[in-house]
Amino acid sequence: MLEEMRRLAPLRGYAAALAAVALVSVVIGAIEARAHVANISMLYLLSVLAAATLVGRWPAIVASIASFLAFDWFFVEPFHTLRVADPNEWFALVVFLITAIVTSQLAADQRERAREAADRARDATLLFEVARVLGEPDLAIALASVAERVRQGLRVNGVVVELEEDGASQRTTAGDVAILAGAEIGSLAAWIPSPRSATGAGARWIRVMNPHGSNTSTTRDERVHAVPLQTGGRRIGTLAIIRASPEPRSADDRILASVATQLAGAIERSRLRQRATDAEVLRRADELKNALLGAVSHDLRTPLASIVASAGSLRQTDVRWTDAERESFLADIEHEARRLSRIVSNLLDLSRMESGTLHPERSWYDLAALIDDVVGRLRPLTEEHQLEVHVPEDLPPISLDYVEIDQVLSNLIENAARHTRPGTAITVSAAIEGGEAIVDVADDGPGVPSEALDRVFEPFFRGSSGGAPRGTGLGLAVARGLVEAHGGRISVRNRPEGGAVFRFTLPIEQPARPRTAAPAP
Amino acid sequence: MSPQTGARILLIDDEPAIVRAVRANLGSRGFRVDVAESGSEALDRVESHPDLILLDLGLPDLDGLDLIRTLRSRGRAPIIVLSARGAERDKVRALDLGADDYLTKPFGVEELLARIRVALRHTLRTGTDEPVFRARGLIVDVEHRRVTVDGEELHLTPTEYALLTALVRHADHVVTDAMLLQEVWGPEYGDEDHYLHVYVARLRKKLERDPQKPRYIATEPGIGYRLLTEEA
Repeated sequence: MLEEMRRLAPLRGYAAALAAVALVSVVIGAIEARAHVANISMLYLLSVLAAATLVGRWPAIVASIASFLAFDWFFVEPFHTLRVADPNEWFALVVFLITAIVTSQLAADQRERAREAADRARDATLLFEVARVLGEPDLAIALASVAERVRQGLRVNGVVVELEEDGASQRTTAGDVAILAGAEIGSLAAWIPSPRSATGAGARWIRVMNPHGSNTSTTRDERVHAVPLQTGGRRIGTLAIIRASPEPRSADDRILASVATQLAGAIERSRLRQRATDAEVLRRADELKNALLGAVSHDLRTPLASIVASAGSLRQTDVRWTDAERESFLADIEHEARRLSRIVSNLLDLSRMESGTLHPERSWYDLAALIDDVVGRLRPLTEEHQLEVHVPEDLPPISLDYVEIDQVLSNLIENAARHTRPGTAITVSAAIEGGEAIVDVADDGPGVPSEALDRVFEPFFRGSSGGAPRGTGLGLAVARGLVEAHGGRISVRNRPEGGAVFRFTLPIEQPARPRTAAPAP
Repeated sequence: MSPQTGARILLIDDEPAIVRAVRANLGSRGFRVDVAESGSEALDRVESHPDLILLDLGLPDLDGLDLIRTLRSRGRAPIIVLSARGAERDKVRALDLGADDYLTKPFGVEELLARIRVALRHTLRTGTDEPVFRARGLIVDVEHRRVTVDGEELHLTPTEYALLTALVRHADHVVTDAMLLQEVWGPEYGDEDHYLHVYVARLRKKLERDPQKPRYIATEPGIGYRLLTEEA
């Protein structure tokens, strides 16, 4: 209905102009019947002005001529003919016609300027909005906002932004789903360039859409107007609008071209940014790989050298080892092999973290029981230290992945045992503070050099203090990754009285209320 | 030891060094070791009804879990799964599919022998619910619903008691979380799975003298629990 009216708009303008002239004629007739008024023809100027301001230039000219003829016909003697008896009347009529036409053109100019100003204001607003939403870092979201803004700004039925990259195309749309479904933008080659803008640099295509499916209850004459998105002379996509009215205004062409330019620039920038990010990821992966190779060549070799030497010694035929010596070689082999196994475990965890495949499988655990288990299991490693555990009785259950937090605590205790002298104390304690569980592993060692405090959790970082035997520099990095996967934090500080305290936190979530347990007897 | 001598063990593994070490160690202790280096070979060998199966989950030709299903459908010989650390999920699935125990690679010979001993001993006892369970000072009297440790009676809640008897039924075998939940709360367990570990921790607190050296209930990280009848 609305579209029908819009399509008939030009004809309605002329009809309205003529109707206004007819109305004025009736009014003048009514007045003339009572008394003669000089220059009453000026009343016609009202209808001409109305036509000029409300409808347009040509209807106003038609109104001027119609007024001229109508006045001559109805009100200039002899009546009902176009002849004019009095030459003075002739003069008045011609002056009237000229006045009517000139006035109407001035009014029409005014009207057009006002409309253009409104268009420009709308264009400026739209372009500003587009520029603003294109600032959004996520290209997909930005494109969707632009499509919607263009649809509203131009009052069209649908907007399609289609990007093409490596043969694949990706669509962002706004508007009526049914209309969009019928709009095939992809094969622009089959389209015809629009004659109206064939001269423009950014050629435009127009295509009349196929009727939607077979049930064409709506015989809308919709058209797709497409503008290519280009950067550096290369076409990267298409911006298309779908509208019902057959002839878009030239203002729409302008704005569409501007939006297309902005869009193309934004898409290009986003792609460049993506490429830069990819390159950065690759560079970091490469860095990690190099560090890994370094660690492998150094840290795996040390235990391997010890194993090879011990095994080789045992195979010597010209030496008679005592039982104690044999036992010590064998113990070395086993000890170093287990150390290798731990290094490999940490490497595995680290690679899982780097590839983002680490997902804690949480369940509710008694943190005190976990600490007891780990401390008990690591006894052989901490035999030469005084290991103490301080855990309050009333710790609430904590949601955690047992294997992963077990590994965190093991790595911290192992780290403490390795970097402190035998006989010193290692204290493991837990507490609840500020809505989170805190686990501290404190030692009596030399502490962490202040310049290394920020770096101890980096993969392959190795402190240089003391010259004590070192691990791979992986344990703490793995601990940090696992704690952070739980939503906790890990940190280290030096105690004023000496020694380092490694602390990790775990968020406490409110467990769902347990059902009153009704276990089987 | 004597009833186990001569037991036939099928080792399914494609790693020559492991095969060599296991064969030498078990052979020298009187076991007869049969080796299958692939899943298909294992399916042939299992026809000779071994007393126990050692299965490496990472076989080249067959999925280890599928193989367990097949082996279970063909016989009741206990299956001990060998697998790498980090594959806890696979171990749990293997156990829930009917494997009896697991060993994490790399494992020591003592561990392997202990597992084999337990697995073989229990084939003789499957299904027998003895009215009174005794192990190193722990007595669980099912008939009178009494639990004592070193002669001292423990006061357990119904949940703790149910957990303990479930572990006792599988003494020395690893019991996965899912198996415990099933046995204590039945197939309809709901929120309890969140609390299983908390309940076990409470039970252990009552049972164990030194929580860092548990005598009875050992945690198998990421897998479940095990009631120990012998000194670890």
